[in-house]
Amino acid sequence: MAEETLLSDDFLRQLINVGEVDILVGLPTHNNAQTIEPVLRAIQAGILKCFPRERAVIINADGGSHDGTPDLVTGASIDDVRNVLKIHTLRTLHAITTQYAHTPDPALALRTILAAADLLRARACVVISPTSTTIDPDWLQRLARPVYNDGFDLVSPLYRRQKFEGILMSNLLYPMTRAVYGYRIHEPFASEFAVSGHLVSDFLNSEIWNEEWVRVGTEVSLTVMALTGKYRTCQSFLGTKAHVDRSSSDLVVAMRRTVGTLFASLDRNRPLWSTINDSKSVPLVGTPSETEEPEPERIDRKRLWEMFATGVRELEPVFRTILSSTTLAELQRIAALELTEFQYPAGSWATTVYEFAASYHNAVISRDHILQALVPLYRGRMLTFLLENRSSSGKDGDKMEENVEALCGEFERLKPHLLKLWADRR
Amino acid sequence: MPLKREASWYKDAIIYQAHVRAFNDSNGDGIGDFQGLAQRLDYVQDLGVSAIWLMPFFPSPLRDDGYDISDYKSVNPTYGNLDDFKKFLAIAHDRGIRVIIEMVLNHTSDQHPWFQESRSSRDNPKRDWYVWSDVDTKYRGTRIIFLDTEMSNWAWDPISKSYYWHRFFSHQPDLNYDNPQVREEMWNVMKFWLDLGIDGFRLDAVPYLIEREGTNCENLPETHTIIRDLRKRIDEEFPGTMLLAEANQWPADLRQYFGNGDEFHMAFHFPLMPRMFMGLRLEDRKPITEILQQTPEIPPSCQWCLFLRNHDELTLEMVTDIERDYMYDIYARDKSMRLNLGIRRRLAPLLDNDRRRIEVMNGMLMSLPGTPIIYYGDEIGMGDNINLGDRNGVRTPMQWSGGWNGGFSAADPESLYSPPILNPVYGYPAVNVLSQKRTEHSLLSWMKHLIQTRRSTHVFGSGSIEFLHPANHRVLAYVRQLEKETVLVVNNLSSAAQAVELDLRRYKGNILIEMFGRNIFPRIGDLPYLLTMGPYQFYWFRLRRI
Repeated sequence: MAEETLLSDDFLRQLINVGEVDILVGLPTHNNAQTIEPVLRAIQAGILKCFPRERAVIINADGGSHDGTPDLVTGASIDDVRNVLKIHTLRTLHAITTQYAHTPDPALALRTILAAADLLRARACVVISPTSTTIDPDWLQRLARPVYNDGFDLVSPLYRRQKFEGILMSNLLYPMTRAVYGYRIHEPFASEFAVSGHLVSDFLNSEIWNEEWVRVGTEVSLTVMALTGKYRTCQSFLGTKAHVDRSSSDLVVAMRRTVGTLFASLDRNRPLWSTINDSKSVPLVGTPSETEEPEPERIDRKRLWEMFATGVRELEPVFRTILSSTTLAELQRIAALELTEFQYPAGSWATTVYEFAASYHNAVISRDHILQALVPLYRGRMLTFLLENRSSSGKDGDKMEENVEALCGEFERLKPHLLKLWADRR
Repeated sequence: MPLKREASWYKDAIIYQAHVRAFNDSNGDGIGDFQGLAQRLDYVQDLGVSAIWLMPFFPSPLRDDGYDISDYKSVNPTYGNLDDFKKFLAIAHDRGIRVIIEMVLNHTSDQHPWFQESRSSRDNPKRDWYVWSDVDTKYRGTRIIFLDTEMSNWAWDPISKSYYWHRFFSHQPDLNYDNPQVREEMWNVMKFWLDLGIDGFRLDAVPYLIEREGTNCENLPETHTIIRDLRKRIDEEFPGTMLLAEANQWPADLRQYFGNGDEFHMAFHFPLMPRMFMGLRLEDRKPITEILQQTPEIPPSCQWCLFLRNHDELTLEMVTDIERDYMYDIYARDKSMRLNLGIRRRLAPLLDNDRRRIEVMNGMLMSLPGTPIIYYGDEIGMGDNINLGDRNGVRTPMQWSGGWNGGFSAADPESLYSPPILNPVYGYPAVNVLSQKRTEHSLLSWMKHLIQTRRSTHVFGSGSIEFLHPANHRVLAYVRQLEKETVLVVNNLSSAAQAVELDLRRYKGNILIEMFGRNIFPRIGDLPYLLTMGPYQFYWFRLRRI
């Protein structure tokens, strides 16, 4: 087994009782008592409705909740859902919980879930976020069915989001993943996804499993493995993604887990991505939901502008070690702009990101510092995105998509720059 | 000579279901008969069962394999005569085997003289022995049982130009139990056989005796009144006689047929059987524990009758739609295996001839609360022939040897009542009694051992049951208890090896003695009792405090 110490004896005992399953639903939690119950009910209903004959289990990997989240998971009775849906269940549906650590670590939670999926030989492993209160039972089908029935190895979600949700995804992770690895997966590292047992097994048994970057960004490295190996990938329309309040410190953590892992993945996969010159779409499953676009959260643009300008000014010594003089000059030009005329152009942003990736590769300074230095610049790009799309509404969502598409185009166009940086600095 | 009639003999019984026609042909006419059956009673005795239940052997046009009776007080000439029956009965009793016969109360053949008289004119004295109507719209709330063949429960009689009521085939008109003459005559029929010394009746199709407008014409109070009356007469005149109900109903409805211990002694637990098959394929005890938890308590003198397969299709009437779909997909993917709301297959083919599955199913049959019934041929793993119509595919000749006609008959194969099974897997050259008797590890030898072990204790027949709830849902575990005797049963429903932890703290200090090999297992302590089990393995442990 890839990691013998990942599973506690007690958890192992529970897994023995569950035995082999067809579908494993992983639920990583930490203090999610406020939202876990509707999510759990939707999962249970989804299993009853869509997979009544399959052997299924819900596995809660908890990071030391103090609010009783695990108790809510194990205490949730399937009978309540069964009575509401008036569905007779054929099988026992286990819901088990394990505390993988005393402090939350999403990557470790996911690794625990994947290890369980591998041990239980799950044909499909679905991961659901405990904060996805907009989940409906069909999500389970939309994620698991392509794996379980159609032979896909990775199902990535497509959400209907608040206008300004997921900007890190749309302005960095998506365009860069697309340009580097050649696949147009809009949510490459989402909090909901499904993977095949085949991919899980290969992932756990691969050489990279114990590498640090994989430990930090498990979901990203899993996706990267799917994109760089001979695995079938698709996207599935889910529905509206609930907004989650996040603090600014969350952004740094998210950067480490996602952007850092994506950067780190470039090292190992250079022979592959260096030969990719364009991108191709991946199959879409299902149809977009007709739900109303959620009201966007108000974002303090001035604060973003200030954080960007301050960052460029204060981190200049750091940037000198990371960025080319041309790029740094461009940043300083942008930082001097008034809020009303602020714009961090797509090409400049793509160049910036690539130069950060190359510096990360060469570890010119601490990799963590590199990522932290990227945060204020990302805020500037975020501000530009808000300004570019301030007028677009739900019905005018095409405009926003066009802007994202244009950004992706810039990342693809400038990919030779990344290759050159890589070649120069090796 | 009648056997001594202990009051509750049926609770510890193991019943062997056989069909005279299919068991053994003594006169070489291609059809089994009573003399042939009597010749094979040594086999039945050796198997270890304590009772034999015979399917209808009365004169009949045989359009429903004898369930269409045209004379209740005689023996179908192709099976012999009444003297042959009496001799068979005496030999069976000499060997300690009780005899249960079929009694089809609900209907007769349309060839029965009673019906011939009844239909002959509207003022015939027997007109009211059947249920007649000028219209076919009465009792509309009544379901049709044989959906594949019947469009209505009413059939037009061109002779008396009216409709008659039939719950089964249209050639089986229902008797009118509102008529006291019918009730009296049917009692006389039963008394006739009881006077000969039989030990019990399996009463066919009992829920349907009475019809009432505005009801579904099943399980009506008047039906119970009739049953109670029959039971009273039997207890008074033939104490120790057992009445077994065939009532394919949900447990709550079935419960009524036990009354206060004053109706049936036993009733088939129809809903349990398909769920045993379901649990096995789902590898999940849920269907089994669920239905047993829904099964109401029955009076102490009463007993459930359990079976895996019988002469009918594996009925799926008492399951939900989702369960039925599952069963069809798993056990009868070939649509020709389906009949009415069921699956017309034998035990071994249903279980893919997997010896381990056959064993664990029989293990449960013998250890769950009730009296088990073994359908003839299943003890050697006989197959079926789905190319034969109706349920005839599970009623083929018994396979005694690899010789001529499988040892069933000296007749030319073409003149047998039914072609024997001949395919390479289940055919008589491969599956037969003679060859299995020669090996200790044959299914037949194993079944004998199982039966012997079951009969070594009264706990299975009369003990209480308490389910354990190990977290491993693939394991079905229960404790049977009778007075000071306690037996722990653990069944692995999975095709894979399993580990299971059992909470046996209340039995702390006991050691476990495995009942088949009599090996000792570790003493029960404070910790969960860990067992590892091979695929489809089961254990019976006797608990002993030493």
